[in-house]
Amino acid sequence: MKTVRNLETVRKKKAGNFTAKFFKQELSAWVILLPAIICIYYVVIRPQVFGTAWSFYDMKGYNLGEFVGLENYRRVISDSMFMKSLINTFIYVGLSIVIGYMLPIIIAIMLNEMVHMRSSMRLMIYLPALMPATTTALLWYLMYYPDNGGLLNMVLSMFGKEPYGWLQDSGKTILYIVISMTWNGMGATVIYYFASLQGVSRDLFEAAIIDGAGFWKRCTTITVPHIIPIALLLLVRQIIGVFSIIDQPLQMTGGGPNGASSTLGLMAYNYGFVSVKPQFAMVVGVIMFLILIVFTLFYFFLDKKLSADI
Amino acid sequence: MRKFRHMDKGILTDSDMKQLKYRLLYFTMFCILILVCAIMIIPVLWMLLSGFKSADEMYAVPASFFPKEFRISKIIDFWNETKFYKYYITTFIMAGGAALADMLVSGMAGYVLSRLKPRGSRIIFVLCFWIMLLPGTMRTVPLYMSFKDVPIIHINLLDSYIPIWIMAAANAFNIILFKNFFDGISISLLEAAKIDGASNIKIFLKIIVPLSVPVFLVVGLFTFNGSLGQYFWPYILISNKSLEVLGVKIFKLKNESYTMDYQMLALVFSIVPQVIIFAIFQKQIMGGINIGGVKG
Repeated sequence: MKTVRNLETVRKKKAGNFTAKFFKQELSAWVILLPAIICIYYVVIRPQVFGTAWSFYDMKGYNLGEFVGLENYRRVISDSMFMKSLINTFIYVGLSIVIGYMLPIIIAIMLNEMVHMRSSMRLMIYLPALMPATTTALLWYLMYYPDNGGLLNMVLSMFGKEPYGWLQDSGKTILYIVISMTWNGMGATVIYYFASLQGVSRDLFEAAIIDGAGFWKRCTTITVPHIIPIALLLLVRQIIGVFSIIDQPLQMTGGGPNGASSTLGLMAYNYGFVSVKPQFAMVVGVIMFLILIVFTLFYFFLDKKLSADI
Repeated sequence: MRKFRHMDKGILTDSDMKQLKYRLLYFTMFCILILVCAIMIIPVLWMLLSGFKSADEMYAVPASFFPKEFRISKIIDFWNETKFYKYYITTFIMAGGAALADMLVSGMAGYVLSRLKPRGSRIIFVLCFWIMLLPGTMRTVPLYMSFKDVPIIHINLLDSYIPIWIMAAANAFNIILFKNFFDGISISLLEAAKIDGASNIKIFLKIIVPLSVPVFLVVGLFTFNGSLGQYFWPYILISNKSLEVLGVKIFKLKNESYTMDYQMLALVFSIVPQVIIFAIFQKQIMGGINIGGVKG
């Protein structure tokens, strides 16, 4: 009897020990996770929630005032710059998709065919991507410089043409800004597609050749389907990224001439930090968020296997 | 033409190249790519060369692409005048802190989500996925306000790099990246350490980190490189001139009374760190784009 009881106490003790150890393990795991939770809460969740809430309040400087309901929204939407900036923002996104989205795919496919100079071409195409966005914006600002000093006017003068005001041409300012962004961002995207293309199985092409498929047929039936999942992800990222653009118009044109290159992001920046009406900046932020969340949900709807891919 | 035998990746094969139409196609693509390369390279060359020109040369008609002479002394004078080394130091402190914070915080989080999996941590993982694609456009102003007056402890973080470091540490993408990498580490090593009574944090520092140097290097490099060119946040957070960073400085030079050739020199100075880092870590960066490319 005695030994049996002893055995039981030992077992109980072991079990107690085990729970204590288990809790210690769980707790210490959460402690290691804590810095990330705090940072993500502080940087992502809190501003997201409070930014939405505060857009319904009046503010004095950066201090919270009283609840005003939709008054802030009414005032922002009736701002003459709002519609202009909203349309401009869509033009930025549209142009960047027309110019900057297809180009890297086409270049990557062509680069993948090369057997001559492939790695040096890859390096040259990647080179502009090394530049920070600010340097690129300023470099292109100088390239578009309206007098003879600018590179593009230098080229025009070689053909005997008068200097042209590039960024001052209000109808095309956005186009020129998008071109400079594409020049900067394309390198990394090309390399990304290129790496994916390297993984296409050789057998597929051999089979297609036996079936008598030409270059175009092989390209559309094998190569393009292979990169569609990545292309989709990059499309959504590009839409979100370009939709929130602030830096380039701020650095290159300041939103001008006469608001022709202003964006919603720049408008929010001006409200938040120049005229110090943060409540209006948050209203613009909420409106941008509501538009973009449509794209994000659309993406989740289209590609449910995101979690499997990454 | 012997090179065509090495065609083993693309759509075209060496047997295609016996036909004239495919040779023409290949040649056309080659020419287009050369043109693309030229478009990518010429602005960079122009920037590098313009720094050597005098102001008169910049505006001369007809313009010349190449400078008449290479004035090294001009570059040294400008370097001394603007004290550019100061901006390298501040930028390196900012970017280095960002990279360290990101590697440490995201690495630890990835370790917990991958290996320890305490109850409920699944929620954090799912949350990471959601916020990764959540547009962050509306966070700027509320975040600025919370840096100006930190909730609960009420201190002002403006005019320091701490906000930049905190923002770098909150990187959901890198948490998932680390988690996926750690998932691949053999479990037997960790079990052995656990039986020896090593604590969780000790296992992380002594076993996980040494086994994961490549992924730490890639994350660190990308965060460091990205932070080197930061403009927006340093611009609105930091008004103290002695803490100014490169991205802000070159933007401010635009509005100072320097002629175009000097502005070009400043641009060249601003990319020197990136170029050096790329030259050293080219392999890691090119490889890292495959994982980092999604990050955009």
